[in-house]
Amino acid sequence: MGKIKTARGVIYFFLVLLVIICFIPFYMMIINATRSNSEILRGFTLIPGNALMDNYDILNSYINIWIGFRNSLIIAVSVTVLNSYFSALTAFALVVYEFKAKNVIFITFIVMMMVPGQLGLIGLYDLASTFGILDTYWPLIIPAIAAPFTVFFFRQFLITTMPMSILESGRIDGASETYMFHRLVLPILMPAIATMGIFTFIGSWNNFLFPLVIIRSPRLYTLPIMIRQLQGSPVASNLGAIYLGIAISVVPIMIAFLFLSKYIISSITAGAVKG
Amino acid sequence: MNKTDDQTVAADSTAAVSKRKTKKKNHNHPYFYIAPFVIVFLSFNIYPILLTFYYSLTNYTGLGGIENADFVGFENYARLIGDSFFYEAFFNTIKIWGVNFAIQITIAMGLALLFSDMRLKLKGLNTFRALFFLPNIITIASVALLFSILLDWNYGSLNQMLLTLNLIDRPINWLNDPVLAQGWVALIGAWMWFGNTFIILMAGISGIPKDFYEAAYIDGANWWDTFTKITLPQLKPILLYVFITSIIGGLQIFDLPLLMTDGRGAPRGALNTMVIYLYNQGFSYANFGYSAAIAYGLFIITIVFSAITFKTMYRSQVKVKKGGRK
Amino acid sequence: MKNSWKLASLLCGAVLMTACGSDTDTGSDADGDSNGGGEGSVDLVINSFTDELAYPIEVFEERNPDVNIDLQIIPTENYVDTLRPALESGSGAPDIFTGEIVYLLDWIEQDYWMDLNEYNVDEWSDDYLDYVWELGRNEAGEMKALSWQTTPGGIYYRRSIADEVFGTDDPDEIGEMFSTMDGLLDAGEELANAGYRLFPDEGSIAPYTMGNNPEPWVNDNNELQMTDARLSYFDYAKELRDNEYSALAPAWSPAWYASFNEPITYNAGWEEMAEGEETTEVFGVSLPTWGLHSVLKTDAQATAGDWAVTNGPSAYFQGGTWIGIYEGSENKDVAFDFIQMLVNDEEFLTQWVEETGDVLSYKPVMEEVAQDYSDDYLGGQNHYEFFLERAEQIDPSNVTRYDQRLDQMFGASVGAYVDGVLTKDEALEEFYAEVQNAFPDIEVPESN
Repeated sequence: MGKIKTARGVIYFFLVLLVIICFIPFYMMIINATRSNSEILRGFTLIPGNALMDNYDILNSYINIWIGFRNSLIIAVSVTVLNSYFSALTAFALVVYEFKAKNVIFITFIVMMMVPGQLGLIGLYDLASTFGILDTYWPLIIPAIAAPFTVFFFRQFLITTMPMSILESGRIDGASETYMFHRLVLPILMPAIATMGIFTFIGSWNNFLFPLVIIRSPRLYTLPIMIRQLQGSPVASNLGAIYLGIAISVVPIMIAFLFLSKYIISSITAGAVKG
Repeated sequence: MNKTDDQTVAADSTAAVSKRKTKKKNHNHPYFYIAPFVIVFLSFNIYPILLTFYYSLTNYTGLGGIENADFVGFENYARLIGDSFFYEAFFNTIKIWGVNFAIQITIAMGLALLFSDMRLKLKGLNTFRALFFLPNIITIASVALLFSILLDWNYGSLNQMLLTLNLIDRPINWLNDPVLAQGWVALIGAWMWFGNTFIILMAGISGIPKDFYEAAYIDGANWWDTFTKITLPQLKPILLYVFITSIIGGLQIFDLPLLMTDGRGAPRGALNTMVIYLYNQGFSYANFGYSAAIAYGLFIITIVFSAITFKTMYRSQVKVKKGGRK
Repeated sequence: MKNSWKLASLLCGAVLMTACGSDTDTGSDADGDSNGGGEGSVDLVINSFTDELAYPIEVFEERNPDVNIDLQIIPTENYVDTLRPALESGSGAPDIFTGEIVYLLDWIEQDYWMDLNEYNVDEWSDDYLDYVWELGRNEAGEMKALSWQTTPGGIYYRRSIADEVFGTDDPDEIGEMFSTMDGLLDAGEELANAGYRLFPDEGSIAPYTMGNNPEPWVNDNNELQMTDARLSYFDYAKELRDNEYSALAPAWSPAWYASFNEPITYNAGWEEMAEGEETTEVFGVSLPTWGLHSVLKTDAQATAGDWAVTNGPSAYFQGGTWIGIYEGSENKDVAFDFIQMLVNDEEFLTQWVEETGDVLSYKPVMEEVAQDYSDDYLGGQNHYEFFLERAEQIDPSNVTRYDQRLDQMFGASVGAYVDGVLTKDEALEEFYAEVQNAFPDIEVPESN
């Protein structure tokens, strides 16, 4: 028993060490965000400085990072909503009805899941240019309506969890199919929607390549693109302001995660086991 | 669409989802429901992919529209096959992914084994899981920029820290050495992803029936036996999932190496990954035709890797089954 | 469950609306939100890669209260990639946009800018430096873009250090010393012996390696021109690094900016470096005219008054911003008013000069200002005298559209050689391969 206790102690020590190593980069980021450029150049310290507001002013004079937040949020929420709703609708149609193109669609899904997103990059860019929707959010949002992987996941979920009898009884009561989709099927799908929704949201939030190619007006920049702007900007002459810019892009996400971590983690588990 | 057709198809279908499909009143419904998906799918997925393929057969430069480009057949693909930069990008990508995956899976597996050990009974799984996972949700662009300045030669906090602690005599130029730079990208990738892998492995392990282990202990099996004979074989599907998702993601690595250095693969091309190469050829040098060919090269490589993985896993699964029968 | 779903969809709906809402206001003003006419206000969108225009915009808005100007800054390195698609497609295009000299030649031949001769700008041509005027005119004789500035370069240096090491801080005497490459390197040696560094990084010597007869990067036959002069950059850069004339502070990095203000640490590199000798001060830097107000005056305030500018071994110029009106703009008249103020309004330009110390291409103002000018930041020096003389020597015929990328690639290769990781031949070979790869049309020399 004593042996196990010692082992446990050693293991906890290493676990905590691992946590510390994982968080050092974030800690340095926050500390440096409060220090002036010349302080940072001179050396490192673990104690915060008092240049936070100066750094914020420098950052703010060039970039309004909160706009990046807003833009990223608008895109990510729209993408998640469209992705969830239309994938559910498609999965519903695939599970409940029999129709001609069903198998074709299904096989296409499997193939499309292997296709790297970059394959259509140049085509999509040109398509957007032809339609005159370059530099708008449409090319980033609309494709979310057609997400094979989400449909696939929802389909598996519906097959295992939705009893067809509830649709039958609904029909007998005279409910329309669309009504049943909204009132019966969507609630049943909710756990799956949450799971995929989180992935979709994070994926969209982090999306870099497509906005980089599609968006050019600074006021439409998403957070990742704004962060990239920092790199080549006049702000780069001030390390403190750069650290602060990064910190602003990171800390709110960390706080949101604190509240949602349980949910997110169970989603990952569900995604792995079911998918 | 007439009814009989639909019903015939339905009868032929092997999907066998529902057996009570007799009373469908409105047969247009499914088409109506899948219409948005199909329309968007065709126009925003399939069409761009086909268009990209067409471009890959031209010398399109983005200027003056596609009408001004010449059709060059498979010239771009011939160039791709002989392009040392593309091979370099390919091997860079594989190296970065390989090191990243090795670190990631080792740590994740170690943690999963520790936390699932029935004798240790470690507490705090939820907390640790959350903490280890956290780097995964941070915007990669932010992570990349953060590390690019933390690793700065003269003024990065890492070198300053190591110097202060007297661990090094003089600063190391982390991002100016091809091997070190690739190592850092791999390590940062592992840092971001090991928590995710840990959670997935943990889920897999907790799905293994406990009595397998109990029986093994009674038979006097040691730790290594239970790991190789029970845990690994049982985890196979989950490992396949982890491996496939990791490699598909790994082949597409872009943001991190792009923002860590100059965006063109510095130091000396070491961080030039396949997607960075694709991006630069298209959007920096305006060689859109060639860039499109690179996209297809990437596609083929992805398929090959996925196929190999499936095949290896399938073969070993057959073996396990045979072994089980003995 | 049902209720929460309702709530969720309501929320999502709201967000979607916002999304679409903001999408509609993304449509560029060039598309004409119909607020061009009538007595309503006019919105102009200007795209540029620096914030230099902030001041003129402020003045213009004061003079024309019914005009709102939105200055959108896109950092240099993404500028072309981001703007070109918009100019090609017209969606999201600005009313006015600037162009750097390095891609100017390409752009004036495209349909991006309108022909300013529609506003008879030809009448102004005598008042401008010839090269500035000519660069904005395309082969068809259309006047596509104008510039308010001229951009000869020089070496800015710290007077206090000059005094201490050379016994004088006089720009003429220092310039005499720097008039040859050997003289410059000797000065580097003297500074190093006194514990200073000549330049922050090796790039500061690059402009002089081409000597007095520079060649373009690429000639008319699309051949890469690797002259001996160009190749000498390898050796000069190496010499600077090995002899500790430079301070390992790459251009535009935080350390580079810091080097203008205070002693910087340079603890990276020299094994034999003694304890306690961990900081050094940088003597000077090569920058063009605009470096004075957009780099030094903004980022080196701690050393204000301690600077002076003089010549290097050869004349050079760097950068230059041209400005024009987007062909598809719906507010061309207002846009032209702005450009007229910026490049041809004596009152404004005099104000601008007093504010920034920028060197203009508009001769009437320059001649007047240059007569008795003294800049406090430069310790009372009249830098106009110096720069105007230099501006006469500018020969823009060597500018090619590849310059920016090639300079970048060449700089990286030289860097690898200076760092000691590649031999000169390897670095050169790598450079050729990269050029060939990015620009298949350019013919590179056979590498040995």
